[in-house]
Amino acid sequence: MANKRTFGEWMRQNVVTVIFIILCAACFILSGETPAYVAMELVDRMARNAFIVLSLIIPIVAGMGINFAITIGAMAAQIALLWVLEWQIPGIGGFVVAALMTIPIATLFGFLIGKLLNKMKGQEMIGGMILGYFANGLYQLLFLFIFGNLIPLHTDGLVIQGSTGVANTMDLSKPNGIRKALDLLVRLDFVPALYLFAGIIAVAMLILYLRKSIPLRRLVVVVAVLAACVIAVQFPAVSEIFFLVKVPVVTFLVVGLLCLFNIMIMKTRLGQQFRAVGQNRVVANAAGINVDRTRVIAIIFSTVLAGLGHLIFAQNIGSLQTYGAHEQVGLYAGAAILVGGASIVKASNGQALLGCLLFHLLFIVVSGAGRTVFGDAAIGEYFRVFISYGVIAVALVMHAWSAVSKRKDPEAQMRAASEKA
Amino acid sequence: MNSHSKSQRIAFIALLAAAIVLIAGGIFGVVNRTSAAGEQMLSDMRLTALLTTAGEGSKEALVEAEVEAAREAARAAGGGLSEIKEAVAAAEAAAMERVANMTVEVDLDTVDTSALIPAVEDMLAAQRALGEQTDKDEAAYAEMMLAQAPAEDAAEEEILEEAPADAEAAMDMDMSEDEMMLEEEEPEVDMSGFVATEEMNALSAVVDEKFAGLSAALQGVSPDLSDAALETLRPTIESLLYQRGDTYETQYDRLNAYGNAGFTSWVTRYGDDLITVGVALALVAIMVFFAKPLLKALGVPRMIITCFFMLLCVLAVIYDLSLTTLLSNAVVRMAMNSVLVLAMLPGIQCGIGLNLGLPLGIVGGLLGGLLCIEFGFSGLPGFAFAIAVGCLIAALVGMAYGVLLNRLKGSEMSVTTYVGYSIISLMCIAWLLLPFQSDKLRWPLGRGLRATLTLDGAYRHILNDFLAFDIGSFTVPTGLILFMALCCFLMWLFSRSKTGVAMQAVGNNPRFAEATGISVNRMRIIGTTLSTMLGAVGIIVYSQSYGFMQLYTAPRQMGFIAASAILIGGASVSRAKISHVIIGAFLFQGVLTLGMPVANALVPQSTISETMRILISNGIILYALTKAGGGSRG
Repeated sequence: MANKRTFGEWMRQNVVTVIFIILCAACFILSGETPAYVAMELVDRMARNAFIVLSLIIPIVAGMGINFAITIGAMAAQIALLWVLEWQIPGIGGFVVAALMTIPIATLFGFLIGKLLNKMKGQEMIGGMILGYFANGLYQLLFLFIFGNLIPLHTDGLVIQGSTGVANTMDLSKPNGIRKALDLLVRLDFVPALYLFAGIIAVAMLILYLRKSIPLRRLVVVVAVLAACVIAVQFPAVSEIFFLVKVPVVTFLVVGLLCLFNIMIMKTRLGQQFRAVGQNRVVANAAGINVDRTRVIAIIFSTVLAGLGHLIFAQNIGSLQTYGAHEQVGLYAGAAILVGGASIVKASNGQALLGCLLFHLLFIVVSGAGRTVFGDAAIGEYFRVFISYGVIAVALVMHAWSAVSKRKDPEAQMRAASEKA
Repeated sequence: MNSHSKSQRIAFIALLAAAIVLIAGGIFGVVNRTSAAGEQMLSDMRLTALLTTAGEGSKEALVEAEVEAAREAARAAGGGLSEIKEAVAAAEAAAMERVANMTVEVDLDTVDTSALIPAVEDMLAAQRALGEQTDKDEAAYAEMMLAQAPAEDAAEEEILEEAPADAEAAMDMDMSEDEMMLEEEEPEVDMSGFVATEEMNALSAVVDEKFAGLSAALQGVSPDLSDAALETLRPTIESLLYQRGDTYETQYDRLNAYGNAGFTSWVTRYGDDLITVGVALALVAIMVFFAKPLLKALGVPRMIITCFFMLLCVLAVIYDLSLTTLLSNAVVRMAMNSVLVLAMLPGIQCGIGLNLGLPLGIVGGLLGGLLCIEFGFSGLPGFAFAIAVGCLIAALVGMAYGVLLNRLKGSEMSVTTYVGYSIISLMCIAWLLLPFQSDKLRWPLGRGLRATLTLDGAYRHILNDFLAFDIGSFTVPTGLILFMALCCFLMWLFSRSKTGVAMQAVGNNPRFAEATGISVNRMRIIGTTLSTMLGAVGIIVYSQSYGFMQLYTAPRQMGFIAASAILIGGASVSRAKISHVIIGAFLFQGVLTLGMPVANALVPQSTISETMRILISNGIILYALTKAGGGSRG
């Protein structure tokens, strides 16, 4: 029954998003940042973070909640990055090598995570989070005592003389680093990029419609929205907002491909199994689905995608805190997808992207707002951490709440269902 | 116990045999140290070292003499400057070559040592007397200096005057770093003004005299040794024979560099370590013998942690760290954390599982402490005031929290974690905005409260120092332990009361409890409130022992630390006893306390102990979750 959203639940989910939109708007006005700056930052941050937020969808569908263990995927990416730096492979070649290395490492990690989470069904989220902390300990062992000591590293700057282990910062911006390797491949101004993506999306939708994957109404709505966007940028008042924006086309293409992947995989047999397991493990098991195996596969997908997402993040940022960059990945991605209206049992591409947009919009403007209101930017910083944790806490509370009330009161559920009808 | 496998029996016997051999060897070694044989051994080593040094010295003297002779000869031949140089270089090379082929005669059987031995002993006695006198006089001087100027706590001032770190950095900061500065520093005294006293001068004159005697004896053995060479060798010889604070071990280590002294003296040197390893092996043997019942009683993780703790103890002894001091620290840390760990107990007993939302209570306690400082209370009334206010706030918050948790049965743990985290980050903003006025609390510049507040002048160490006494280097923090015992006793009393029994029934089997007419929700609220209140008391006890209160992100992980401690003690997410609290707090804090110095001895300047903390604390929670999940909720 979890897939049929009752009206109350639907309201609750959207309340988070609506509150967030209001919050973003308020902070934006208070912060006094120019729209052009915000637009530039936002496009940059979307390119940086969207992929990793999208990597959370599959486990949610498979009923495992938000996969906080994606921090471990990020660790896999950092291991790969370290070796690409050691081998000094520059540019896009280095990025591809890192991605190719990340995939097997993250697959292995994902397999292990999945096995462990199968032992704590119903507690996957807290388990994944603590597993992330635990893995961080192993990661420190690896980077402090194995890399650079037992396995020597030769490239300058990776190991600091006189201290143990890999240096605190991995700098990707050197001539033979991979900083912006993906972003800089093709860069367009906002307007041409919009034309390009609007075209691609329209064509994709059309193909999906012709293959009868989506209803006509969906096609019409999407095309209408795209057309509205294209028309809107014809006005100088709108296009001026975006004059600072440089769109990293390839990065967004990759994000688009992942969205497509998320859609396509749900149409396969495997995708159906994810869904079935997510809805009810007992029923899925009775239907002959190997529940444990399906869950492990879901986590492997998520971990690998998170690893790739972290690579995109790293190449965009240009340098990494060796011992800290992965720690907050799960928190921020999890909060972002919830802000978009996803719950811990249901999520879509649109929710992930919207959530990412809103969450990072808040990040951009909140410290400015804190400075204006309280005269202290630090308050804004603390506020955004509070928001991240708070959003997750609220989402968990709401979910548990509705789950308990559903269990307790089937009548209320029936009433809600009839109301919706 | 009749189910021992053959390999188990063999392992037991082998281990026990090895342990007995080691302990016997160790006892022999330790006894040998003070006996005449040990003294003889050391004296032989001393002679060997001395003769080696003297031999090397005489070689140098020989080369020197040859070079001098060559220079004289060249000058007499009337050559130019360059010719003299050449001649000297040639002579030096030749002499060096000759000397290199000479072996230094240090075989004690062949060298005539009859004159040397008494000379060395005289010298040694004189040096010892001088050293002891110096120690005494310096101590007196230090005392005098201390009495003149009361020592300032420079270290503490430094911490507090730190500028407010920028928020992002502060957020990433983990509490673990700060947690380690527990050890107090000895007041340091400037010794530069110290002048040798009369007695010392007299004694050093004696040393001079004895050295002359020793020189004569040495020249008797190796005639090449000139007076000048002996004078340059003097500091080497003096430091070879005696250094201040010498023990058997240090002397052995120093002298052993001049030639290996054989197996017996090695046993003597490492006797205490041999005993330690032997005892450890014996323990391992016993554990192997009782492996099955022990595993059953302790469970795998507790067994591993216990073994690890014992390993750390052994390593601490082997690395010559003071085990008693470390254990004393471990006891203090156990006691200061115990109330926080105890806070987990009612949570588990009433059925909400691990209360990872403990920061709620902690924040209450911190507020109590802040108000205490703000109003300028100090000493015992201040401590009581902080606890009262903390409990009041925590009780209110805990009740609301309990009501919330009643609506979330089944997913308490993930919710409590994130609620705890949210509260901590919300309080981060609050600490910046709350209108406290005291200068002790606020940053001197900028806004908000300091990140680390000293409790000097409030209730720092009020429990630790109450009736505290020393046994050797083991300090017993009586007050702290009494307080811990009091809390545990009250918890025990409560668990015997009608409400307590009902609460445990709810935790064990909510349906059964409901059927017998117990209000499940009410009991869960009572348990949550108690847990939160104990969290408040716990942080106050913790901070009075630590000496500081930490605000901002520092309390974020405390729920996890308390949870892992009680799990290490043997609790599960649905069952816990007071003994689990005490055992767990001791094992976990013991491993942490011993881990850091031992890890630093193994790999200097490493953060391996911090890594170890992360692995242990999260590993045990993961283990508990795997035991709790799976089947039950499948």
